[in-house]
Formats: sequence, structure tokens, C-alpha cells
Amino acid sequence: MEIKETLDCKGLSCPMPMMKLAKTIKGLNSGEVLEMIGTDPGTKSDLPKWCEKTGNALVEEGEVEAGVFRFLIQKK
Amino acid sequence: MADQKKEPGILQELFNTFFAKHWPVWVGGVTLGLLNILLFTVKSPWGASGGINNWGENIFKLMGISAFENAAPTGTSLYGMLCLLIILGSFAGALFSKEFALRIPPKGELVKGFIGGALMAIGATLGLGCTIGSFFSGVPALSGGAIIFTIGLFAGTIIALKYLIWEMEKFPSFSSGKSFTFLAASEKKGQWQIWLGWIVSIGTFILAYRVAGTNGVLAWFIISGLLMGLICQRSRFCIVKAFRDPFMTGESDGSVGVMAGLLIGLIGFTAIKFFGIGAGETSIRAREMSWVFGQFWLRGLLGGFIFGLGMTVAGGCAVGTLWRVGEGQVKLWMAALGFLLISPISKHYIVPSIVEALPFTTKFKSYLPDYFGYAGAVLIVLAIILIWYVFVKWNERTGKFSAF
Repeated sequence: MEIKETLDCKGLSCPMPMMKLAKTIKGLNSGEVLEMIGTDPGTKSDLPKWCEKTGNALVEEGEVEAGVFRFLIQKK
Repeated sequence: MADQKKEPGILQELFNTFFAKHWPVWVGGVTLGLLNILLFTVKSPWGASGGINNWGENIFKLMGISAFENAAPTGTSLYGMLCLLIILGSFAGALFSKEFALRIPPKGELVKGFIGGALMAIGATLGLGCTIGSFFSGVPALSGGAIIFTIGLFAGTIIALKYLIWEMEKFPSFSSGKSFTFLAASEKKGQWQIWLGWIVSIGTFILAYRVAGTNGVLAWFIISGLLMGLICQRSRFCIVKAFRDPFMTGESDGSVGVMAGLLIGLIGFTAIKFFGIGAGETSIRAREMSWVFGQFWLRGLLGGFIFGLGMTVAGGCAVGTLWRVGEGQVKLWMAALGFLLISPISKHYIVPSIVEALPFTTKFKSYLPDYFGYAGAVLIVLAIILIWYVFVKWNERTGKFSAF
């Protein structure tokens, strides 16, 4: 899967990761994939809920290293 | 196969129920509402800004500033200890779920944390309370001033959110750049976090046990603080989120969670006040007026507005800041520092002259049952919560007021 853009939210706490995510996804075309990397545990529950609500697909969710989460989101 | 997971034992499964996943926010709201009622039964409702102010006063006292020499030592201050234990409880919750890490954000975020904390301090000392005392406890306490304070909070939150969005668009570098994460755990790594979680929890129970002989109320506040911090961390209970998210992503879960806590608090607080439960040697009237502050209306409105600005810029309300401190979010360490340093200064040197300038009709104690009776006052609060609920749910469906 081709990653169109990577959004680095490491070190940021609520609400910055979700704000940056919502803004960045706006700039993508339908079907394109955004990679988001972050360290705020809140994102682990906020992001899937937001995807469900907005219809964007959460394609992958995992931990790249201790405490660093990675999400792949495909725009609706 | 070697890596095949074996079924967890019964105790492990119980542990996982609490710490494998975040809890829904409403679970946090309900349990915090219950603990709030219990705090009121034992002594007085939950509050946060007073405790943080106590820390600040003790720091200035240590520095030898005479204006603060009468500050109660934090070890004997109910609310100073409650706030401290909320941090420890969140620390324990984060450790048990292996979510603790020192997360150092880019420099611009640290600056925003400090400024947000300072604004919260000014708002809390001017408006007499924070998102806990004058909202989460104040509204169930049937205080008219708390409702006005809440309106101020909303206004401040919306304006500061507009600022954050503007900053992100115009100066994206302010919230990006070098960041660091230390001490993080993963599924296989960092078992020490769970052990440390046990040490912190057991240590707190020993402390409460030792205090209980001479000061039962303080012992109860210590245990409650630990539980409250843990609940907040697990449910990510945050009042900024409740106010901000409908206008940001349109999310309503945070708001509904807070409403659940308000409802529970409302039932318990009304009973305590109506029957004068726990009045002891004080009058029933004094019990009724608990957590009704002289802030109606302008004092509460101004304070709430400034507090709303601060909590949104900092990314944590009074309690949201405390539990994120325990989780290792260094931006919120700066917010707590700004709060505790500026609060005593604001209280002693800035607020008195402003309050003096305000006429009495803008800063009196307004107890709703005095005007509408108990039934009327409860109905008013219920109606406000219902309108808020309908708004956030409608907004979630339509996105009318959401920025994104």
C-alpha cells in the first residue's frame, strides 16, 4: 500500500494529534493513505472513533517501537 | 507453537478488564460522580484549583515570602493532598496499563503549556473555581454562579480553539520539531511499570492507614484521590475535551461522559443538601451553601472565560492537567507549573483589586433553590444537561459547528 503522506505527532498531547490529523486528511484525495505516528495514548481511542464517525478507513494500527504508535488511514 | 498465547488466568483476566483497554468516558463520569458524592458526605465536594494553589503557596513559603507564611502544609491540606493523589493515581493507572512514558513535546508546546496553566490560575482565582469546583461539583451543588462560570468556560474554549486552529494553519512549526520519549513500555518490554504500579498503590494505602488514626477525613481523601486519578487516566476523563470536541471534530463521547457524572452528582448532592446530611456541628444552611461561591454573575463569567482560554491552550483542564502529569506528558507538567506558580500571585496581588472594583450585585452567592425551590432548581439543571446533550448529538450528526 502506497503511503501518500506521513504525519509525525510524536511528543504531542491532546488535542494536537487529532487536530493535525483532521487537517491533513482534508488535503488528501479519496483513496490515498496517510501514515500517522504518535505517542499520546489518547490517540489509541480517539482515532478509531473518529475514523468510524467520518468514514475514513483505519487500515492498520500498531506499535513501531515502545510507546510509539503508528496508524494507516485511508481517506474515504 | 511457541508464540501461541495461552489463556490468561482468572486474576490476570480481571486485571486486563481494568488495564488492557481504555474505559468508555461515561464509566469514568459515573464513577467520578459517585466518588464526588462520597467526598461530600465525608466532608466537602471535589475541587482542584484550591489544591494546586496550596502547592504554589508552599513553594513561595519555602522561598521565604512572608505573604504566604500561613499556608497550610500540603501534607495536612485535604485538597492539596487530593490533587497530589490524583497525580499518583493516574501514574499508577498508566503504569498498570504500561502507558507511562516521559513524552517531551516540541518547545512551542511547552510554552503553550505554561501560558495555559497561568491563564487557568488567573481564571480560577478570579472566578472562584475551576472545571471541577465550579463546574463538575458546582453545577450539581445547584450554584447559579457555577452555571454562569460554565457559560464563560464555553466562550473561552471556543475562542482558544479558534486560536489553536489558526496557529496550526499559519505557524505549523510552533507545534512541530524535536520531541523525545523516554521510559516507554511495549507489550513485551517494560514489565517494571506494572511492579512500580503496585508499589505506588500499596504505598498510598499504607499512607492512608497511617493517617487514618489521627485524621480519618484526610485518609479518605487520600484513597479517593488515588482512585480518581486512576479512573481519569483509564477513561481519559477530561472536561476540555467535553467542551472542545463538539467544536473541533464533532465528537460527543467526552461531553456525554461528563454529563453522566453531573447527573450522578446532582442526585447525591441534592439529597445531601436537602436533608443537611453530614452537617455535624454546622448549620443545615451552611451545608446547603457548600460549593456555592460568591461569583454570580460577572465574577464567574470573567473567571470562567479566562479559565476556558487557558485549559484549551494547555490541552488539559484542572483535573485533565493533573492526570496527564501522572501519565508523563511533559507539556502538562509545564501547565501545572504555570498554574501553581501564578495562582498564589494572582490570588494575593491581582484578583483583590479587580474584585474590589466589581459591584456586589456581580459577585454574590446565588443558590438556585432559594429562588426556584429544590424541584425547580433540579429541573433547571436537568434541562440544561438535556439541551447540551441534544446539541452535541445533533452536531455530531450534522457537523454544523465542527471545525473539521
